[in-house]
Amino acid sequence: MGSSNRKKKEKKKDFQKAKLKVGKAAVKAANFTDTSFKSKSIVVNQQTLAGDGTDSVEQFKQTLASAVNAKTDNIRRDALSYLINQLSGKPPNNPVGTAGLLTRLLPLISDSATSVRANLLKLFRVLPPSQVKPHVEKILMYVRGGMAHLSTAVRNDTLDVLEWLLDVAGDETVSCPGGWLKTLNSLSSMLGWNPSVGSALSSQGWTSGSKTTLVGTKKGGEAGARQIHVLARLLQTGFQPESPIPYNPQAYWDNIYRLPATPNPFAYLNLFGSPRDEDNEMYPDRISRQRVFDAKWRSVIVAGMDGAKREGGLVGRAASALKKALNEGADAPITSPGSLA
Amino acid sequence: MGKRKLAALEKVDADLVSLQYKIRRDPKSYAQEFYDQWLAYDAQRQIFIASPSTASTDDIKKFHDLVDLIAHVADLYPDLTAPYADHLKELLNQHHAILHTELREKVVGSLVLLRRKDVIDSTSLLTTLFPILVSTPSKTLRSLLYTKIISDLRESNSKATNHRLNRTIQTVLHNLVTSDRTSKKGMWATRITRELWRRQIWVDAKPCDVMKEACLSDNEKVVVGGVKFFLGGDASREEFEDDSSDDDVDIRKVKHQTGINKKSKKRLKAFEKAVDKVKKQERKKHQPHPLNFSALHLIHDPQGFAEQLFQKHLQNTKNKFTLDTKLMILQLVTRLVGLHKLTIISLYSWFVRFLTPKQAQVTSFLASLAQATHNLVPPDAIEPLVIKIANEFVSEASATEVAAAGINAIREVAIRQPLCMTETLLQDLVLYQRSKDKGVVMAAKGLQSLYREVYPELLQKKFRGKEATMGLKSGEVRQRKFGEEDEGGIDGIELLEQYKEDQRAKKLAELEGLPEGEAEAKKDKMDEDEDGFNSDEWEVGSSDSESESGWINVESDGEDDVPDKKRQKKDAEGGGDAPDLVDAEMAKVAEANRISKLATTSILTPADLLKLQELRREAKVDQLLGNRSKKKKELIQRHIDEGVTADDIELPATLGKKNTREERIALAREGKPNRDEHKSTKAIRKSKKEAEGKSTTNKDKARKKNFLMTMGKARAKNKRSLTETKKALTLHVARSKNGGRRRNDS
Repeated sequence: MGSSNRKKKEKKKDFQKAKLKVGKAAVKAANFTDTSFKSKSIVVNQQTLAGDGTDSVEQFKQTLASAVNAKTDNIRRDALSYLINQLSGKPPNNPVGTAGLLTRLLPLISDSATSVRANLLKLFRVLPPSQVKPHVEKILMYVRGGMAHLSTAVRNDTLDVLEWLLDVAGDETVSCPGGWLKTLNSLSSMLGWNPSVGSALSSQGWTSGSKTTLVGTKKGGEAGARQIHVLARLLQTGFQPESPIPYNPQAYWDNIYRLPATPNPFAYLNLFGSPRDEDNEMYPDRISRQRVFDAKWRSVIVAGMDGAKREGGLVGRAASALKKALNEGADAPITSPGSLA
Repeated sequence: MGKRKLAALEKVDADLVSLQYKIRRDPKSYAQEFYDQWLAYDAQRQIFIASPSTASTDDIKKFHDLVDLIAHVADLYPDLTAPYADHLKELLNQHHAILHTELREKVVGSLVLLRRKDVIDSTSLLTTLFPILVSTPSKTLRSLLYTKIISDLRESNSKATNHRLNRTIQTVLHNLVTSDRTSKKGMWATRITRELWRRQIWVDAKPCDVMKEACLSDNEKVVVGGVKFFLGGDASREEFEDDSSDDDVDIRKVKHQTGINKKSKKRLKAFEKAVDKVKKQERKKHQPHPLNFSALHLIHDPQGFAEQLFQKHLQNTKNKFTLDTKLMILQLVTRLVGLHKLTIISLYSWFVRFLTPKQAQVTSFLASLAQATHNLVPPDAIEPLVIKIANEFVSEASATEVAAAGINAIREVAIRQPLCMTETLLQDLVLYQRSKDKGVVMAAKGLQSLYREVYPELLQKKFRGKEATMGLKSGEVRQRKFGEEDEGGIDGIELLEQYKEDQRAKKLAELEGLPEGEAEAKKDKMDEDEDGFNSDEWEVGSSDSESESGWINVESDGEDDVPDKKRQKKDAEGGGDAPDLVDAEMAKVAEANRISKLATTSILTPADLLKLQELRREAKVDQLLGNRSKKKKELIQRHIDEGVTADDIELPATLGKKNTREERIALAREGKPNRDEHKSTKAIRKSKKEAEGKSTTNKDKARKKNFLMTMGKARAKNKRSLTETKKALTLHVARSKNGGRRRNDS
């Protein structure tokens, strides 16, 4: 009864006439809008990105921004497709330059949407290799980040990026600072062939099986095979015998008086960066790569390879490819500098 | 930082938080996963370091999350994460100015977390954070670092004082203050020192030394920080102590709540916490009071410090500090002079300039002057100042407030050094008690009563008063010479002696009731125990060989001597009466005997000292009620402890002034409950009770009960038969006998 009384009262209140009082302003209506304020700027919550499309440079930049910043997967994907179109046109339209493009787009390597990653790879493939080469070190950083990503899908797609990189700039990839050892480290960590994890723990766990996330499932096996395959490619690239540089009588004088043609020609001196440790060091030639590989990685990788071979199937086949790459590296005339030293 | 939505399936995988949880549950099995994340962290770190200022928000976000993950599990993989702390330090050191705010906060938090997990030690953490605190331009970062530094220092000193760490940090602070005296950076040293002093984490001389150096800085802010520390540091420390004891828990309330509310782990934990807190407080209550010296006492070489302060900041005419700062410095200098009885002769001549009524905040100057005076200051140095005050402030023509303040200031100076006054001046000043203004009258009377006690010869005969005149005649009141000091003694030792005597008399009285032989035996025993009422507890006193020897007998002589006892009794009673000459003489001798006896012939046991303290406290109450001269001595003591303020000087001027209406209303309102609307006192009390979360009374509950709920019972009551009514009434009577409680059966 009490509550219904209350409800009645409340209901009545709605229909009561507001009392007007002398000397007081009339009561404001419920839908009254206060327009007395003044504002210098108006904030619009939703903005449309649609432009008239007349300025192609502006549109390119806008699309690039939306490829990076848009919240929706589809918008990012479509923006990337637009960029691919622009880049693959004849002549390619790239107002921001490859460097600018890479700086913006590299974080997308570990994007959450599969379609975006796929489009990103396509976009990378249409970039001119000569312009990618100076930025290999930076790309590798993102690749390493992607290879250690939590999600397996991202990891696998990152391998594609690494493969692309080996295609377009193989030599730079293995010789840039951190490019050899760190990449090896990431790859073997993906495979679970890891010397540092066991030693990091005070005692070995009671099971010494390889990484559970890779083997077992059919897809895991495929992924493992792929990783071994990429590892083999990396080693192949690293152990490739260098072609002798043809004799150039001007080389000596060029070295002294000419401006160098490559960016950062004295990178190996590391004049301006922070001091590098062994992993971050650059291994510019085949011999140094071989030596450091033999010292640090050969035993681990051979052990892992043997295990993979015994597994058979896709993984086993990939392992034999890896063995081939290893043998190629081993039979090279590595002994000559060793005997000299 | 825009956070992108993750697809549902991916979420399960790509959640660093759940990975962190898993790693912490089972670090061995997740070593591989952790290593992957470590590599990701490494890559992300390199990306970031390559261009810290232009890193994209996505990258920053990723890096932020990875830093967080690794900080939380770093202690589980010490080998892998060995370089982690160094990475963070480097990042913070090199890029703190351009780091994104959230990332910066995370890095600092992670470092502190590593410290809490004992991956790094406090020294390395603090030596990393401190330089950044001093140099960063960001206010938020500074406040963050400041709180982290303070909390880390607190934490590492919580179980036991970490002397090594404290010494390191104090040295760092000291160097910070002394290395560049003109820079503002020293302010952080003063802030940190002050906070730790307030929390009683640092209580020794080293922080005082830091503050001393701060006082001698060239930067005004640093100087103010240091000076404020000395003037108010101890007060704030005590205040903080009171505050921290305030927030006690009501254990009964918590118990009650746990009984009623739903039982849950959380509530149980809260209950246990409350019990722990109460226990801790109990323990704290019984702990002996920590021996805390005031910062002013811990200063090394106060004379040199005071001289330097005075010369650098006050005497130096090129100094451009504001008047407030200068006054504060002056306060500190004069406090030091008064407290340690230092001699800075040039200080007094410096004062002359400021002793005019037109000087801004002149009362503070007057108070400082009073502070700077003590009995070892040569009267020649102060006399001109007193004459100047009299000339400038006290005249018929000057305003009454000015005159009152002047006379009061002279009195404050004269309390400490009575020799600063000339006869003519005093007689002139005393005559101001004929003034019409109450403030002036009170001030003049105060001066007169002071001189009645310390130096009555200076007053005219008619102003000397009865006691002083008689004292002069008997030679009891005599003028102190310059530099004369009281003989040292134990304060209140005569009280203890008196107490012991009373105890003895009581025992004797008891014994008189007993049979003869027994009483004798007991008396003998008491004689042996003479040296202390609990001598058995005290090794030295109770050794047999000593009590057998002649030592004790000498001391017990007086007590058994009947006339001697009488004499003592007499002077105990007759202290307040007008004494005749002979009696006073005797009393003096007796007093002298007494002091020498107890303190020199027996060792005071801890129990004795406790009793002494208690007696002293009791005696203090007496002093407040009467006994003027002791009261004044205490006043001086208080001023030495707390210093003279401008308010003390202005006090008489406020006498006899009527308050304004607002002041009167405020005075009446003080201490009364807040009345926003018109309400009865009862209603206010009730709302207060409700606000405290207390329950209502049964009566209240009955009154508030819904009428409909009571209707059924009321109706049933009407229909009761006679027997039922009777039964109910008898039960009611029985209940009222039980104090209103219902039994289980009825």
